[in-house]
Amino acid sequence: MTEFAQGLATALQPANLAALLGGSVLGVFAGAVPGLSSTVGLALVLPVTFALEPTPALLMMISIYMAAEYGGSITAIAIGVPGSSPALATTFDGYAMTRRGEAGRAFGISLFASMSGGIVGTLLLVAALGPLSRAAIAFGPPEYFALGVFGLAIVANLVGTDPLKGIVSALLGLLAFIVGLDVLTGAPRLTLGTTVLMDGLGLVPMLIGFFAIAEALNGVSGHRENVLGTEGIRGALPAFRDLFRLWRPILRGSAIGGIIGAIPGAGATIASIVAWNEERRVSRTPERFGTGEPAGIAAPEAANNACVGAAMIPLLALGIPGSASAAVLLGGLTVQGVAPGPLLMTEQASLVYALYAGFIVAVVFMLGVGRLGIPLWVRVVSLRPRILMPLVVGISLIGAFVLRGNLADAWFALFFGLVGFLMLRRGYPLAPAVLGLILGPMVETNYRRALALSSGSHTVFLESPISLVLIGLAVISFAAPALRSRLRLGRGGA
Amino acid sequence: MIVARAWLRCFAVSAVLILGACGPATGEAPFPNRAIEIVSWATPGGPSDLLARALADAAPDHFEGQRVTVMTRQGGAGAAGMQYLKGRAGDPHVLGVFTASGTVNMATGRIPFAPGDFTPILRIQVDPFLVAVREDSPFRTLDDLIEAARARPGEVSMSGFGAASAHFLGFQRLRAAAGDPDIRWIAYEGSGDAVVAALGGHTDAVHTNYNIVREHLRAGTMRVLAVALPLTALSDTPTYLDGGYDLTPVHWRGVVGPPGLAPEVRADLRERLLATIRTAGFEEYMARAAMEYAVMEDSDAFGAWIAEEVDTSRALLGRLGLLMNE
Repeated sequence: MTEFAQGLATALQPANLAALLGGSVLGVFAGAVPGLSSTVGLALVLPVTFALEPTPALLMMISIYMAAEYGGSITAIAIGVPGSSPALATTFDGYAMTRRGEAGRAFGISLFASMSGGIVGTLLLVAALGPLSRAAIAFGPPEYFALGVFGLAIVANLVGTDPLKGIVSALLGLLAFIVGLDVLTGAPRLTLGTTVLMDGLGLVPMLIGFFAIAEALNGVSGHRENVLGTEGIRGALPAFRDLFRLWRPILRGSAIGGIIGAIPGAGATIASIVAWNEERRVSRTPERFGTGEPAGIAAPEAANNACVGAAMIPLLALGIPGSASAAVLLGGLTVQGVAPGPLLMTEQASLVYALYAGFIVAVVFMLGVGRLGIPLWVRVVSLRPRILMPLVVGISLIGAFVLRGNLADAWFALFFGLVGFLMLRRGYPLAPAVLGLILGPMVETNYRRALALSSGSHTVFLESPISLVLIGLAVISFAAPALRSRLRLGRGGA
Repeated sequence: MIVARAWLRCFAVSAVLILGACGPATGEAPFPNRAIEIVSWATPGGPSDLLARALADAAPDHFEGQRVTVMTRQGGAGAAGMQYLKGRAGDPHVLGVFTASGTVNMATGRIPFAPGDFTPILRIQVDPFLVAVREDSPFRTLDDLIEAARARPGEVSMSGFGAASAHFLGFQRLRAAAGDPDIRWIAYEGSGDAVVAALGGHTDAVHTNYNIVREHLRAGTMRVLAVALPLTALSDTPTYLDGGYDLTPVHWRGVVGPPGLAPEVRADLRERLLATIRTAGFEEYMARAAMEYAVMEDSDAFGAWIAEEVDTSRALLGRLGLLMNE
């Protein structure tokens, strides 16, 4: 406890506080701007951290990471465009609430859930660094494969009324992921003989194309439903009672984020989608999900912020970055002469405790910056779509370019925008395609890796208890909607 | 009028920067007369990106105080960044960090570039490959692992970064020297992921670099069976040569310029970079990142080294049936 108090004292020194505050503001911005993300935010400040002492450098980076995971929800709720991929699930209910005129309430729920998730993730990090890091490396190819299959099973009943259209959309996403160099052989696939397609089409261009450009096209062609007027927006924040009633979804979301976030390579996007789906599964009113259900914002937002603390588990305990953002963080740590790994806790205990305390302070700053920002977000929502959407498209395209400094990404975004627009017009949901793009590589490469290691025997997928449970959950998830409507029909007939 | 012309020039320069077409007319002012760009096509935060940033941090003092910035140009397995660098022919204000991965990508035919598309300046560091196992592994030496693979073909697995990558070819060189035992290469998206696979017991060993496993070696959670080159930090560890394998596959990184740099310009750049990598700040980076200096000061020798690496890789890929364009 005294170590923690010392850590807190360190985190509260003026220079460190300034770093944490600066990081929070930058993080919210990086998270909210489509195309930018926690990873880009971290990469952009990496040169700045060179000039800082190790502690403020580290604290600045973790507060960017934390705040960016919240920031993504602002755009998701305001205009239905995920500011970064972990906010994808937040668009389902967040944007629906905004269209109902309850933007203020949705912003409040997201901020509160993000804060709670951030704290739970930090507590997990502090309390279970050792055991969780050992559990994380138990995840081998069969387990990753099963996790991916579980994620894909969610797709069938993700959004919309027609499961078949959801599956078609997911298949399009799977087709898109194939483009690029095959991880296991290095052979180019569907690259049409060009180098431009060699690194794949990319998640960010897809998010920007589908959600910013396709929606804008929809608006221009007069098909955008529910054009908002200024008078329709209520900036009113939710009452505390309203928030505390959501403790269950927040806790469940945080737990899911905490576990999935600790597994290297799984990530916040998968965690938040799983959290949203689990919340709907346990809900007594699952049909309300996707139409502006508060729990549908609380669970995924708690999950993606819980992932931040959890992603530090493999990083600090093993020196292994669990996410793209953690990889940039590792680079920053290396330059500062901090080497994460099994000895970090014994050799640099004071820095680790300052980091733990820093996480808590970062969450507080995120809350402050977020709270002060809400009236501003509400005003953005109130802008006419005619003005707002072109602005969003412009900023997004710049964001897509900044990510890799590659103009091709802007073209990919335009391509996805066109595809997304056509899909929207014909009633195909877009989120399953995004999941297909994220989960496809996880499923395919780990399937092939597992078989390479088992000499071609498929029983490996059933021998591991973790993979068995996940595949079981996948079957339940996949069959649930059909079973539910069956049951309902049965009751109706009786 | 002067103001207008200045604006016009400003506009022209930024237009040129944006288009990446070509540098402004040389000869107007002595080099360096504006900011230096270091093009980075590597993963942000990864070893090559960190080298670019450490150079950018230490360089200004040796470039007349000009700003030195890292410009990210990712995509196309490095092709986007290389294309940019190649397009700035004759302009010494643009540099690139070139690595073993670049030569392998040239060798496979994945990217349409050849060593002659750039001006070699100097090699800075080597990052030797090594074979590591979890502390409780039955393998005590490299020979144990190779013997096991001979006794049980296809049952010994080795994780590592990428397929047809520098790491993969480093491993294949070792395997070929050992008489092609059937060791299964399990490719991962990153070096960290490959280490996790070995730590979690999913693969028998990992083929990687020192900096990735340093902390696990210090903590005793992993052991190194053999390292390609003697490393000061691993003085007790046998090298491949000690094990009877006469080869030294290394990952390496250096600096190249755009094509068409005049010899005197190249010599000037080399002197400035040599001074840069001997500053205290850069030396500190080298130590922290667990990198060893292996400076090749002779630009022509460095160029020959790059060409030789491409040839060696191409021969090996051909033997493995992994060449793309033939």
